[in-house]
Amino acid sequence: MNAGMRHLVLVLVAFASVGISVGTWTRAAATRMADTQGKAPEVATAAASDMNYCTGDLKVILKRVLTSCGLVAGATSRGCQPLQARQVAAMSGGDFNALFTPLSERAAIIQFDNDSADLDAAATDLLDKTFSDRRGASYFFVVSRASPTGSVQHNRDLSHRRGSAVLEHIQATFQDPDIDQEVGLLWLGEEFAQLDKQFCQWRRSRAGSECNTEELNRSSFIAWIDCRL
Amino acid sequence: MTTAENGPRGSSGMPRKTLIVLAAFALAGVVFAGVSSYDFIAHLDRQVHAITCSIVPGLGPKDTSGASGCHAVLMSPYSSVLRELTWGGIPISLPALGVFVFLLFRALDLLLGKRIARRETVFLIAATALPVLTSIVYSIISLTMIGTVCKVCVGIYVASLGVFVAAIVAHVGSSPAGATQEPGGSSWGLWGFYFVEGVAMVALPLLLYLALKPAYADSLLGGSGLRHPEDKYGVMIDLGGAGAVPAVEVLDPLCPACKAFSERLAASEKGGQLHLEYVLFPLDKQCNWMVGESLHPGACAVSEAILCAGSRAAAVLHWAFAHQDDLRAQGGQSQAAVYARIKRQFPELEGCVGQPAVRSRINKSLRWIVANSLPVLTPQLFVRNRKLPDEDTDLGLDYVLSRVLAGGTASGVRP
Repeated sequence: MNAGMRHLVLVLVAFASVGISVGTWTRAAATRMADTQGKAPEVATAAASDMNYCTGDLKVILKRVLTSCGLVAGATSRGCQPLQARQVAAMSGGDFNALFTPLSERAAIIQFDNDSADLDAAATDLLDKTFSDRRGASYFFVVSRASPTGSVQHNRDLSHRRGSAVLEHIQATFQDPDIDQEVGLLWLGEEFAQLDKQFCQWRRSRAGSECNTEELNRSSFIAWIDCRL
Repeated sequence: MTTAENGPRGSSGMPRKTLIVLAAFALAGVVFAGVSSYDFIAHLDRQVHAITCSIVPGLGPKDTSGASGCHAVLMSPYSSVLRELTWGGIPISLPALGVFVFLLFRALDLLLGKRIARRETVFLIAATALPVLTSIVYSIISLTMIGTVCKVCVGIYVASLGVFVAAIVAHVGSSPAGATQEPGGSSWGLWGFYFVEGVAMVALPLLLYLALKPAYADSLLGGSGLRHPEDKYGVMIDLGGAGAVPAVEVLDPLCPACKAFSERLAASEKGGQLHLEYVLFPLDKQCNWMVGESLHPGACAVSEAILCAGSRAAAVLHWAFAHQDDLRAQGGQSQAAVYARIKRQFPELEGCVGQPAVRSRINKSLRWIVANSLPVLTPQLFVRNRKLPDEDTDLGLDYVLSRVLAGGTASGVRP
């Protein structure tokens, strides 16, 4: 093979090798892109929590309470007082409390002095910790009570003030613009769903003190609800 | 065409062994530049690909995490040119491939000939100077601008140096000029002919690449926008920026892709036109219920620190980017270890991190993500409330940004 022919062959081999390689790689990429276009990526979409304790029954009650006792903007309801709460829940006090049993990890009991609606330091601390540990929950319940000491009407008002104190503290501390859409407020006085001693085991702002049902019901029960409606 | 054999017998001092060495280095350059080009071109399909970052091309573990030096260099703004004109730009490794193929071809052509004129070695020195100069420039860029070393690139640097040294040795070992008669024809004519061949060998892969690369349809830019772009929770972090075009970046401070993306955006001329606000989206189960396992453990604590820092948020974010590996490792051990590290580094944040107020702000940040129904991934960029496709946040960033900033509504298919 003369020099010219050798040179030509080498040039052609060089051109062919680089051309075929680059052409093949590039066409393969174009084919893959065409194949993948229009296919939705398999990525989860951000959403609020919906835990497995959110049974159909719980959601029904939840919806009813939020609609009737929530603070939803535009709604006339600004919380539920005992008679309304009983009607809304449409169940016994014991059954109502049992609804919250699965929420033991997400709930806390904010305790008050006798005949007082003032939050002490331990109360605000537990309230702040509980409210800031929201995770993916959509709704926050504040269920205030009073012990049977005193008149029914007085206790009704007292539990209302306790619930309001909790709510005002949350609003002042966390300035959450969605609070009207997410909080369900009930004040039960001494008339409905009193807490029994089993709730002594739950997180309480006065965990170090003696626990009896009188002390336990001078309280606001708070809980995040990880359910989507 | 004039070669050594065409003219009278000329200088024959060029050692063939040196030419064999030159051919071997050129072949190594072909392989390394080929691997680099292959990896780059594979990403033109806008998907994620594992690449092998090894001094022995093709061998070694596949990098799927994007943590290797090769991946960092590949995704850096320096791996290609003309990125605003064509999606991904033209990879630097592609002309390198053409140059090494040309050098291999020249070496083989000379080896197979009987006589080699001295002017051949002069041309070889000139031709091999190009890759060695380019390698010097790119090694400096790699070390100073990207801050990492790509093993495949090192292979190209070594091959470049090898062919250059071999060309010099071949020239020095050849007979002195004028000692023997050079083959017929002018040296400039011969060099011009070789130069044209070299240019053609570089141009061929470039033209094929541009002709065959996947088309980018503007319809791909029609991604969803933010449903609720307003910052009613006060969670957006405004780090300023000279630009005027409003943009929102959703990021996780311990996410390697976010760090790389921020660097690409900072290096991008188009990125300078954005006024960027950040929304934190830590993919850490300590605060984020949307992830079953922490993808970036420690990210919740670091995100708290960024929110706590206020006007110094940028400093905390840059620190977190710089220490991502350490912080993730500590986060994997315990959240408390990350808090302790943050407090050591930024003592002024001690009274803020871990407290209910800032935890609530992180939660609001996550709720902003939920309110906008965003995919659970980072980073995400919204320019003028329009999402840049996730597939275009790396190689295609400059091209897509230029389309979006220009309006990006023209119909038809662009390169």
